Amino acid sequence: MKIGVMVLEGPYQHQAADSAYHFVRAALARGHEIVGIFLFADGVNNANQFISPPGERNIATRFEELGRQGIEVVACTACAKFRGMRPNIKVEHVQLSGLGALAGYLQNADRFVTFGD
Amino acid sequence: MSANKVTFLMRHAPYGSVYAAEGFRATMGIAVFECPLCIVFMDDGVYALAKRQNPTALEMKPLGEGFPTLGEVGVSEFYVHDASLAERGLTPDDLVMGVQVVSSAQVADILHTSGTVLPF
Repeated sequence: MKIGVMVLEGPYQHQAADSAYHFVRAALARGHEIVGIFLFADGVNNANQFISPPGERNIATRFEELGRQGIEVVACTACAKFRGMRPNIKVEHVQLSGLGALAGYLQNADRFVTFGD
Repeated sequence: MSANKVTFLMRHAPYGSVYAAEGFRATMGIAVFECPLCIVFMDDGVYALAKRQNPTALEMKPLGEGFPTLGEVGVSEFYVHDASLAERGLTPDDLVMGVQVVSSAQVADILHTSGTVLPF
């Protein structure tokens, strides 16, 4: 099955980013295809390469890892502007793009799952 | 099920969190790609359509008046949950635009027949 994912919350304050990551890992393990992960609203903050939680899971590294595997991970450009998430701040394998990317995931996915508050 | 139809489910108040504003922005952004969609307002989400919003003291822009402009990008299906309106002492006359007022069962049917539901 082709699955699209959207994350509406940032790191650590809410469970959403963690749940999205574990969901994607589980879906991939079962042979599903992830058509894309869209980081929207505060979700863009999950792509901050300077996230450095002492002794804790690194949420940015998780999305970077998924991107490095070839899964398209996109952070909303406008949301990034609102939050000062410049291109040189994000992790390498998360791309900045617009709602067109989200529209594409919606059209290409058999199921679309949103993680938010 | 209409595989490609997207329902934007608006459940958050227009101020206090960014959800309603981002739901509006996402609706407009997706609509321009000619993706068939509708919007359902329920719970505190019905306040997003209330007339006379004045968030000046919050240094924010009123959200409600944006929704009628979605017609310009082809959005024509606006549903409002009747019980959510009634619980808040609102009637359709209190809203910034004409909408289809729907029951809980009708909301369930809309969600069931949508290919995708995006909650905001």
